[in-house]
Amino acid sequence: MSTATDTEKIPPRNKPDLADVVGTSILGVVGGFAAIMGFHYGLTVEGGQVGPGMLPCLTGAFIFLASAAEIFRLFFARVGTSGGRIMSVVEDIEATAAESIDAVAESHPDDDSSGDLDTFGRTEKQRNRAPFYIFLTFGVALALIPVLGLIISLAAAILFLLLVVEKQKWWTSAATTIGAAVFVYIVFGLVLSVPMPTGLLGLI
Amino acid sequence: MIDNLMLGLETAVSPENLLWCFVGVLLGTVIGLLPGLGSTTGVAILLPVTLAFEPVTALIMLAGIYYGSQYGSSISSILISTPGDSSSVVLTLDGYQMARKGRAGAALAISALASFFAAIISLIGLIALAQPIAKFALNFGPAENLAIILLGMATIVSFAGENILRGITMAAAGLLVSMVGVASGFSTARFTFGSVNLLSGLDFVAVMIGIFAVGEVLHQIRRGGEKPIRARFKDLLVTKEELTRSAPAAARGTALGFAVGVLPGAGATLATFLAYGVEKQVSKFKHLIGKGAPEAVASPEAANNAAANASFIPTLALGIPGSGTTAVLLGAFVIFGLQPGPLLFQQEPELVWGLLVSFFFGNLILLVLNLPMAPVFAQILRIPYVFLYPIVLMMSFVGAFALGNNTFTLWIVFFAGLLGYFMKRFDFPAAPFVLGLVLGPLLEKYLVQTSALGDGNLFIMFQRPFSLILTSAALIALAYPLVSAVVRNLRTRKAGAKVKEDVTQ
Repeated sequence: MSTATDTEKIPPRNKPDLADVVGTSILGVVGGFAAIMGFHYGLTVEGGQVGPGMLPCLTGAFIFLASAAEIFRLFFARVGTSGGRIMSVVEDIEATAAESIDAVAESHPDDDSSGDLDTFGRTEKQRNRAPFYIFLTFGVALALIPVLGLIISLAAAILFLLLVVEKQKWWTSAATTIGAAVFVYIVFGLVLSVPMPTGLLGLI
Repeated sequence: MIDNLMLGLETAVSPENLLWCFVGVLLGTVIGLLPGLGSTTGVAILLPVTLAFEPVTALIMLAGIYYGSQYGSSISSILISTPGDSSSVVLTLDGYQMARKGRAGAALAISALASFFAAIISLIGLIALAQPIAKFALNFGPAENLAIILLGMATIVSFAGENILRGITMAAAGLLVSMVGVASGFSTARFTFGSVNLLSGLDFVAVMIGIFAVGEVLHQIRRGGEKPIRARFKDLLVTKEELTRSAPAAARGTALGFAVGVLPGAGATLATFLAYGVEKQVSKFKHLIGKGAPEAVASPEAANNAAANASFIPTLALGIPGSGTTAVLLGAFVIFGLQPGPLLFQQEPELVWGLLVSFFFGNLILLVLNLPMAPVFAQILRIPYVFLYPIVLMMSFVGAFALGNNTFTLWIVFFAGLLGYFMKRFDFPAAPFVLGLVLGPLLEKYLVQTSALGDGNLFIMFQRPFSLILTSAALIALAYPLVSAVVRNLRTRKAGAKVKEDVTQ
């Protein structure tokens, strides 16, 4: 005899994260594109042997199908149906460790101010933004290499990050930047004799 | 064997090699304990620095960074519950609990002792097994080599965890990236989109620097930092009870870690989780696990180091990396003009045996350094990350430039960093991607050769006994988790439908 409690035992369906769906879809599109390109490169050469397009085509088709299956799984698999496997033991421990790490990260016992601040004194919002600014800064620095040279461009990027993004004092920022630039120049420029681009400035 | 060991000893104890071994393990420890910088990152960032060295010296130093960072990452797991490397994640459970109970020093000492024990035992296994496997692999033709690579990739998938499909897709994505450029054995340029810079393909060390160094560091910045628990020198004394409880756990962890580490693609992280799981089942004190039990520190830590050493077996003997870090090390071999695989033992005995014997000295140095000095190393955790990460990023970019003296490499690092950051943030595993990237050229080479051997008929893989066994094993390893996942889901659905039917009746 069944009751309503039995219905509760049916695991619910997964609620996929948007990021998972988007990331997997991108992979699927890339896979589909690679498969088509593989045809274009030629699947076989004379004698029916493997041609330059065979592996891209197979791999691309595989990525496309696997991504489609993954999207299907994300939407239609039921929560908790992965138990009973060898790997589920590992996953359980992994989940416990992740929870423990998050608990420590959230507790911040030494932080008497907002629980949101980390030891850098940054809020979660600032932490989320930081990688974006850092990528942008390094992107600009790389674009400036033909003008400023490798070391000066990267040093300028570091100085900008420390002063503007990390809001450090100017003298500690300057000292860190100069220290890093000198260290890198000694190791790569002098010891390893790497011919580093000096740009239009032609300094170092 | 003895002759080879003597040859290796002679190479390893030269003052230059000993010095760089020391530098390697020291740098490895420091890198490992910095959150977000694991062994793969350390080896990737510092690989360009070793370009001026003799190959054997460079590899001794890079290997030192590898196992040095295994020790270092345990320190940050225990003291701040922030693993430096994924293989130390499990130490955030009992290691951190011991630290919170005032046994931080003891946890660090148990971790160092278990690591050393495992390293030495697994080194014996590595020395005993690597050469016979390499010798056996000398008989392999393209079909067998292709089958081994397929098996390696299937292993990655089998151990990809709940998200098997994602693991396998990432491995395939790595394969796809490895195909950029002119196809080996053909004159067709693939996925170059008219760029001359892409004709020679993407430098996979630069891709790895991007993914592991830039991506991981930025992910750590997003995560924030913790203040370390103070470990004092006097706490380093381990009690007799802690030692007695840790010893059998370390032995179990070593055996398990070695067995898992030998499998290409399985890696040390999996070994640590399995070792912890085994302790939860078999330990006399299993009720204490999760609350700061020394055996739950000793066993995963031993498994970690044993697996790290064991992963050199497929790397050196077959040319198939056993983990993400050995994949980068494989890149180092290639940069120095060496091809890991069966012939390496014949062609470069001094290098191989020198490298293997240096593991012993490296681990000895680590034990001597770590036992009394762990609290000193821990002080590095107090340096604000704000000052460390710009330097790491600068080193990564300049190091990548040094690989080929080409500014295009810098853009590869930049975009690979972006990719690595998003992979880490949204939980797309990097290890299968990197293994696919490294194994891609080899896979295609053997695929083309096998096809030529069979006049276009790839079924010759099923006509040779050893390749038949390996290919079948690869197919089973690949199909089993996928099929069982589908079956499980269908069963759940069927059960759900039955319950629904009963309720409506």
